[in-house]
Amino acid sequence: MTESAAVAMAMKRGPYLYEIPASAREDMRVAARVYADDDLWSQISQDRSLEQLVNVATLPGVTDAVYAMPDVHLGYGFPVGGVAATRAEDGIISPGGVGYDINCGVRLLASDLAADEIRPSLEDAVHDLSRTIPAGVGRSGGGGPVDKGGRLGLTTAELDRVLQEGCRYLAERNIALAEDLAVIEAEGSLAAADPAAVSQRAKQRGLNQLGTIGSGNHFVEVQVVERVFDEAAAEALGLSTGQVTILIHTGSRGLGHQVCTDYVRRMDEVMARYEIVLPDRELACAPFRSREGQQYFGAMCAAANFAFSNRQVVTYRARAVFARKFGDAGRLRMVYDVAHNMAKREEYGGEEVLVHRKGATRAFGPGNPETPECYRAVGQPVFIPGSMGTASYVLVGADAAADLSFGSTCHGAGRAMSRRAAKRAQTGQEVRRDLEAQDIVVRCGRARCVVVGPASWPRRRQSPTRTWTAWWTWCTKPGSRGRLRG
Amino acid sequence: MTESSSHEFLEHTGEVKLRVCGGSLTDVFAEAGRALGTLQLQGRKHGPAKAWWEIHIEARDQGALFVDWLNELIFRAEAELAVAVDFDVVQVSGTSLAARVGAVPVEESPGLVKAATFHELRIEQVTDGFEAEVVLDV
Repeated sequence: MTESAAVAMAMKRGPYLYEIPASAREDMRVAARVYADDDLWSQISQDRSLEQLVNVATLPGVTDAVYAMPDVHLGYGFPVGGVAATRAEDGIISPGGVGYDINCGVRLLASDLAADEIRPSLEDAVHDLSRTIPAGVGRSGGGGPVDKGGRLGLTTAELDRVLQEGCRYLAERNIALAEDLAVIEAEGSLAAADPAAVSQRAKQRGLNQLGTIGSGNHFVEVQVVERVFDEAAAEALGLSTGQVTILIHTGSRGLGHQVCTDYVRRMDEVMARYEIVLPDRELACAPFRSREGQQYFGAMCAAANFAFSNRQVVTYRARAVFARKFGDAGRLRMVYDVAHNMAKREEYGGEEVLVHRKGATRAFGPGNPETPECYRAVGQPVFIPGSMGTASYVLVGADAAADLSFGSTCHGAGRAMSRRAAKRAQTGQEVRRDLEAQDIVVRCGRARCVVVGPASWPRRRQSPTRTWTAWWTWCTKPGSRGRLRG
Repeated sequence: MTESSSHEFLEHTGEVKLRVCGGSLTDVFAEAGRALGTLQLQGRKHGPAKAWWEIHIEARDQGALFVDWLNELIFRAEAELAVAVDFDVVQVSGTSLAARVGAVPVEESPGLVKAATFHELRIEQVTDGFEAEVVLDV
């Protein structure tokens, strides 16, 4: 049976749920479930996203079902928006199930400022943010204090401490506040991190990149809370209408990319020894309990700590800019920091599993012990960035998600058009003009990179909103007002 | 570069898919390097190469060799802040490669391309030479 024949066997299980049964293809071990409305289903049926999800359902040790979130789109190996849990005891771990940007994630900072208080100096503030938070490592520059855009110089020993301890090490250096740690997933420090499992190449690639946002769809955005949907949740998160916030989206930079490159190659070499046969070589994996599996997990956790730390240094720089511009009123409190490219050890139905989330966000409900104490009444915060010029959303997890998606939800607006098609549709200058016409200030290293996320991209923002309401609660809708892109 | 070498970027919703054609395997590997360089430079013009790298790679098969080749260039671009633009691929066998590569310095880390992947990877002999496809994570 061909792959497309497997997709043709999909059944609609509810208004927003489709299922491809495990019997649809001989090598599937579990069913593939897709949270989508009819429009989204129609779109993703036209590319290979669903076939990629079916391929994920063949991984050894995969359990229950594999899931596609409502922002699913074509990736490599896993589809973006894919979730799969493998048994820790006898299942595999797959670097491709996490992706090259390990612990790419989103962090929300909230100020005490109102939109009209910053409007007169918004352009100046965004300009200062663009000078203080570099997109990447430069050949020249990098000097000066960190809070004015200087490079955070690390010795190799200090880099190892970042990899081992993450944000806890940065708290020692006064780059993280004590209260920050309580509102970062895993307190910004994964205990299983093993810096020795990270190659020298990866360390070389990441050494000078801490505190940079990178390229692609990464950004720092000044926003304002436009509308509150759930007063109790908004109050618990300290958010209210008219409030200025900052949303940060970046990951583990070149260090994480190299860790994934190293381990995809390594697992590609050893799969035959473990008698693993897969339909896609990019799904390369090894048993979680094997030497290779444990080494990758240790390296992945170290890269994740680097990513938490990267967002922390970006936060430190953003705080410096807001303090310079707005004094005490510019204080930025961290609301939460959540990953969307990660494999985490979690327990469901009394069994320990490794939940691979590739372009999917953990969304634990109030009852989960990993939900921070301060959010136990409402659930773990989740951030869904919009495309440029469209609103982002703050959500909170619900306990029901544990049974529906291994406690996961989508991670963004989705993608319905390739980068090439987007560039054909609109130039960088046109995008900038459109955004400025909406009173949005944009700063970008190169005009061309604005093309990565123009406001007019036909993203699937409206469809998922209907789907998500099944088990996630709306909280706030921060509208975009100023954006800095990598 | 031989006259028969060419590359094109194919439609891919999330990433970048690259197709490369050449009269020989060495042409295909060199052309893939050139295509990667155009992505990393994002259309900016460049002068002659200022740095030269001798690259030797061994891999378990030809597909892995192709992926390793591109990942080597991606690593060097970030580590040395230089983009490879000039290629003399001396030898490509089933599992090994030797090349001399010229690179131009860049002001900022060209981090647009994160990695070359194995997804839908294809290298095959066609009527008038060789053709390869690879998905790049961007």
